[in-house]
Amino acid sequence: MFPDQEVDVRTRLRVLAGSAVALTLLAVASPPAFAEVEPGGWTSYSPSFKTQQKGCGSIDNLTFKLTCSNSSGEQRAERRYDTYSSGTRQFEGYFKITSMSGKRISLKQTFKTTGPFFLLAVERGGRLYAVEDGDTVATGATVGTSVRVNTVHVVGDELRVYINGSLKYTLDSPSGSFYDKFGAYRTASGQGPITVQWSGIKFWHK
Amino acid sequence: MKTAFLLLAVAAGALAGCGPARPPSPPAGSSIRLSATLDDPTDVTLRWSGVDPHAAGSAVEFTSDPPGEFAVLQFVPPEQTTFDHRDLMPQTGFCYRLRPYFGPASTIVDVALPPGDFDENAHAKDPDWAAPRAASGAAQRTSIRQPGRPTAGAPTGLRAGIADPNGIVFTWADHATDEEGFLLEAAPAGRPFRVVAVLDPNVTRFGLVTLPEEKHAAYRVRAHYYGASSPLATIHTGG
Repeated sequence: MFPDQEVDVRTRLRVLAGSAVALTLLAVASPPAFAEVEPGGWTSYSPSFKTQQKGCGSIDNLTFKLTCSNSSGEQRAERRYDTYSSGTRQFEGYFKITSMSGKRISLKQTFKTTGPFFLLAVERGGRLYAVEDGDTVATGATVGTSVRVNTVHVVGDELRVYINGSLKYTLDSPSGSFYDKFGAYRTASGQGPITVQWSGIKFWHK
Repeated sequence: MKTAFLLLAVAAGALAGCGPARPPSPPAGSSIRLSATLDDPTDVTLRWSGVDPHAAGSAVEFTSDPPGEFAVLQFVPPEQTTFDHRDLMPQTGFCYRLRPYFGPASTIVDVALPPGDFDENAHAKDPDWAAPRAASGAAQRTSIRQPGRPTAGAPTGLRAGIADPNGIVFTWADHATDEEGFLLEAAPAGRPFRVVAVLDPNVTRFGLVTLPEEKHAAYRVRAHYYGASSPLATIHTGG
């Protein structure tokens, strides 16, 4: 190596070392910048998923559509994520309804492998409700605006649902195996059409 | 060397988060003063002043992860100066901003829907009736951001076609060259106007499924753009 190159390398190494020290100090001084809710200790992860398209459901990346107004039959366009059976799981995502002339369409589910557990659905006019008990979860899912959803599921204890940062719904949780789904799905009393765009999908566990 | 500093700057930005440790940077051109107060560990009240009196309204928005996606909490009218954000995620940073919006609105149309409940089979043959559509047309267009010309580029010809007892198809002519989108605003009888749909630029047709209280309502459509947003107001909840 030539002397000039040695100096250049040493300079680069000093800069990198200094940057590493500064970065470490900064990491100690600043709180973590994660968007997940509730106290920390979360680990980000990327579960695998499968897409499910039935009837008039169609999926284009993160845009989910039901293109028919059929009030019977399986009409579904969803992502179904890997099953989990323990710990605390958090989901975060944003949805935006760009068109909806139907009613009572499920947008996000935490589903037990043995049957329904929590289904978040949208009624015409933008009311979000829990399908199993019909309770209103939130209002204001205006066409064209993004709505943030966080679900925190403590297996065997509780499921908490946050809409736009506010705790809106809680549900006791049994033990067992569960999985997350989101997209657009016709509930038993619902129908399309609907077009919904999801974004900012994240998962954590602890 | 430049790469090392760039990586450091990016990492520093990523670590800054959305809490009191991150000082807000006033955007250029904004005179809005926005504050966030923690009323108790998980309840926040936003207060603001200094919104341009020519604004048609403002979008109250939040994120926990700037510069990530903001979610609209509410579209508020010009006279509103506070917003309550309740039952928040504990021990979480929140960043808020207020984005005033401007733009000319169409004339108002009054709609009286016939009696009848929602009919799930009303549009079996045309399930896409409500989807937003943009029409290519030769309508004369101009900028909606011209100082001293608040009505320039306003949508014209707003029509409300009754699709069924609980559905209205709106059509209008787009005269704007630089809208960020269209806002469909509704005022049920005895109530003020509120935003009921946010539509993309160039949209000239949209179907709305109405609520029971909207059997009699007034509607208008606004070509809109956002002005300079307020500085971020940051808070960190307890609990």
